[in-house]
Amino acid sequence: MSDFTRQGLEPLRTIGNDTPRIDAIERVTGQAKYTRDWKLPGMLYGKVLRSPHPHARLVSIDTSEAEALPGVQAVITYENAQVVWGAGSVNGGRQYNDPTKAATVHRRYIFNNPVRFVGDSIAAVAATDRHIAEEAVSLIKVQYEELPFVLEPEEALQADAPKVYPEGNLCPDFQGEFKPMVSDVGDVEVGFADADQIFEESYDTGFIHNAQMEPRCSLAHWQGDKLVLYTPSQGISNCRHDTARDLGLEDHQVQVIAQYMGGGFGNKNQNQDADLVAATLSRRAGVPVMLEYSRREDWLGVHGRWPTVQHYKIGVKNDGEVTAMQMRAYSGMGPYRKNSGGIGGMDAYGCPNRYREISPVYTNRTTSGNFRAPSEPHGFFGIENMMDDVAYKIGMDPVEFTLKNMRRPTEERPFTNYSLDEVISDGVERFNWQARRKVVPGSDDGPIKRGAGFSFMMFRAGVGTSSAIVRVNSNQEYTLYVGVTDIGPGAKTTMGMIAAEALGTPLSNVEVVWGDTDRCPYSVGESGSRTTIMTGLAVVEAAEELKRQIADKGMPSGSEVLIGSATPIPTTDGKTRQCFGAHFVEVEVDTRVGSTKILKYTAVHESGRIINPTTARDQIRGATIQGIGQAIHEDLLYDPRSGQPLTPGYYRARHLTHKDIPDIDVHFIEVDDGYGPFGAKTAGESGIILAPAAVGNAVANAIGHRMKSMPITRDKILGAMA
Amino acid sequence: MRDKKKRGDLLNKGNDPAVKYADPKNQVLNDKQQSRRDFLEGSGAAVAAGAGISAFGIPSAKAQSGSSSATTAINLTVNGTQQMLDVQDRWTLAEVLRDQLDLTGTKIGCNRSECGACTVLMNGQPVYACSQLAVWADGADIRTVEGLATNGELSPVQRAFVANNGPQCGFCTPGQLMTATALLETNPSPSSEEVKEALVGNLCRCSNYNAIVEAVVMAGEEGGLA
Repeated sequence: MSDFTRQGLEPLRTIGNDTPRIDAIERVTGQAKYTRDWKLPGMLYGKVLRSPHPHARLVSIDTSEAEALPGVQAVITYENAQVVWGAGSVNGGRQYNDPTKAATVHRRYIFNNPVRFVGDSIAAVAATDRHIAEEAVSLIKVQYEELPFVLEPEEALQADAPKVYPEGNLCPDFQGEFKPMVSDVGDVEVGFADADQIFEESYDTGFIHNAQMEPRCSLAHWQGDKLVLYTPSQGISNCRHDTARDLGLEDHQVQVIAQYMGGGFGNKNQNQDADLVAATLSRRAGVPVMLEYSRREDWLGVHGRWPTVQHYKIGVKNDGEVTAMQMRAYSGMGPYRKNSGGIGGMDAYGCPNRYREISPVYTNRTTSGNFRAPSEPHGFFGIENMMDDVAYKIGMDPVEFTLKNMRRPTEERPFTNYSLDEVISDGVERFNWQARRKVVPGSDDGPIKRGAGFSFMMFRAGVGTSSAIVRVNSNQEYTLYVGVTDIGPGAKTTMGMIAAEALGTPLSNVEVVWGDTDRCPYSVGESGSRTTIMTGLAVVEAAEELKRQIADKGMPSGSEVLIGSATPIPTTDGKTRQCFGAHFVEVEVDTRVGSTKILKYTAVHESGRIINPTTARDQIRGATIQGIGQAIHEDLLYDPRSGQPLTPGYYRARHLTHKDIPDIDVHFIEVDDGYGPFGAKTAGESGIILAPAAVGNAVANAIGHRMKSMPITRDKILGAMA
Repeated sequence: MRDKKKRGDLLNKGNDPAVKYADPKNQVLNDKQQSRRDFLEGSGAAVAAGAGISAFGIPSAKAQSGSSSATTAINLTVNGTQQMLDVQDRWTLAEVLRDQLDLTGTKIGCNRSECGACTVLMNGQPVYACSQLAVWADGADIRTVEGLATNGELSPVQRAFVANNGPQCGFCTPGQLMTATALLETNPSPSSEEVKEALVGNLCRCSNYNAIVEAVVMAGEEGGLA
């Protein structure tokens, strides 16, 4: 269920109404065309050869038998196809920045020598069918010289640890210097001196694969010097630019088409190695090549959320005022720095003295990268468990402790609006927090114990540049061109609704053209919680521009059309723009077997004005459930002796199924802060941030033991209770 | 092309297409050497049963050579249309539907019986098409997502998915719809618990589970598949 509190908002005509997706029929009839559903004449199938070793030098490679297999038309290897994958490893993890990519110290190629994780790519073949391609890959002979490997980030920083790169295992920052990421506000030493009590604790979190249902694939088709790339990309504009740069082409020589895609959650940003491998195979073979990753290849060869170790030190006064916060932490990035390795959460507190030091570390595990709110769920799990623990230890209700210590707007740092108090108090009431939480954690009699947990957040909802084009014909039919791809949240419906509202026409009168860089203008891409706000604002401005033309010239007649376009450069006038949320959960832990069951879940969010209540509701519900899976199930375990991954795949990572799913009560507090399209903020990423922290706090409240390692699996609970 | 009788011997239970995917006897492999999931990792490499599999599940060439491209003639009824096909013995039903019949609504999410995106109805029963060899389906009646709407009119469960946001990314949707259709044909008005029980083999990583269950219950309340 979901419902809404609208604060002084006038109802709009289209926006705010439950609206089926404009492509819902295609999605329920099998007509929706995903990348693997395309077939081009003469198309070959590609297959990649991957390393079975966590770290090895490639001594030699012999492809002669593979090349001799009937049906094989191209074989490329680390020896004859050295293509830099710019987005695969970036100084500081700074994507979207060409100079940083160019200056990157540890560059990643589509094939690498040495190979640095189980699954690193070595070679690829293209053949007339996928079975022949598989067979050909198995015929490639590689001689490996196995090298020592390292799996754990803290261990990797020891002086005697095996080195992933000659310079060592601390990842370079965006300037190419081997330094941790440091944020130092106020003076923690002064803060600790002011404290009545100091608490220190460590938390760790696991690797969470994005595990989108559609495994990575790419279909490359050269038309002369132009590359047409059918690929599931969350950002077609960025994918085009990155692919062009990596292949030495101009942007206009690459066309990226992503009509439908089966999820990504951050796994399909920028271009991927599959795009470059498919393009290289296709160029060699002279015909289109469809490269398909298996589920296991996708699990190990693409990326997931970075595992972390977080050491906290918190100073607090007896009245609950936090005087100092310190975190020293390590993020395991695998052997390539694809993204930041950030650990968020501390910034949600107002404490004036905060020190944060994060060391992103190379290891010989699979690569880490962005997953829905890349830095937050694991960070909020750490800090909010830490703070919840402190609250109980000093005898305070964690909600009261939060209200006392959470970040608030200041004169120096004003917000566009601030609704965290209301979000929290609304959740307290709906969830019946006082009745459900155990004032004394673990106080239920018997082996089955209940408890309640709470978490809160604020998260970016900033504005930025994107583009849109709107056209009207003499029949007064509108066409909207936006470079979105609709990874799942419903962006093209959202964009259509915003256009319809701004144009004063029914949604059914707006055709949306999307997912093709040759037909659509630049869009930021469906990552970073930006599409609704940034591309949505461009849609509003393009519609306004078109309306001005119509007012000027009248509606077009005959074969005429009028076209409005916009690339706004909005600001928030120096104010911080955030969305807000609070989650409350009641769990039941069976301490005899260590299992955790969700009994009640309440999620309250302020995401500005909600464009489409149906899809917004399911963004929060789906993200919350992903977060619950992260809290209690998912991980990628490695065998420390062999460096082999043990739990890739849905079964082994124990993803939640229909039978594990609780009802999630979602409530939106709607406001219009005057920024963003009709006041819309963001929902897609924000929903996943809070479940790990809330579930962790609830388990601690139920069993009376703080669980410091996520996922909170049955064995860990049994260990804590023993 | 291989003789049909020999194919029956080779594939043991291949002539009984009604056998559900969950029946371990349906898999021809040597359990001592590898798990079924490892075995199914390669795309449709099923006849290489028991052969050595590398870290990435690629069957060794030795196991495949000689028999890999052998074909067998089969008959299928797909969405009411008779199909006579020569299929390679190593092709899965999902591959044949997608590659030979261009019915790409059936998705391959894991190719190893984990996710359910490839679910189709075989003689009315939901099966994972990624884990059925096409030759096993000889003589079977197959329904795919393309066969749910009749004369351009969506089925009740399709309508409910449209109304209640059943698909997010949509990649698991065809499988969810097929299992739900099988459920509604035997239980026209299921409770949400019954829906969860029936759909447990269909994963949704968007985790849109609540909306999917609500939609199937809604379809039931409309009177099932009248």
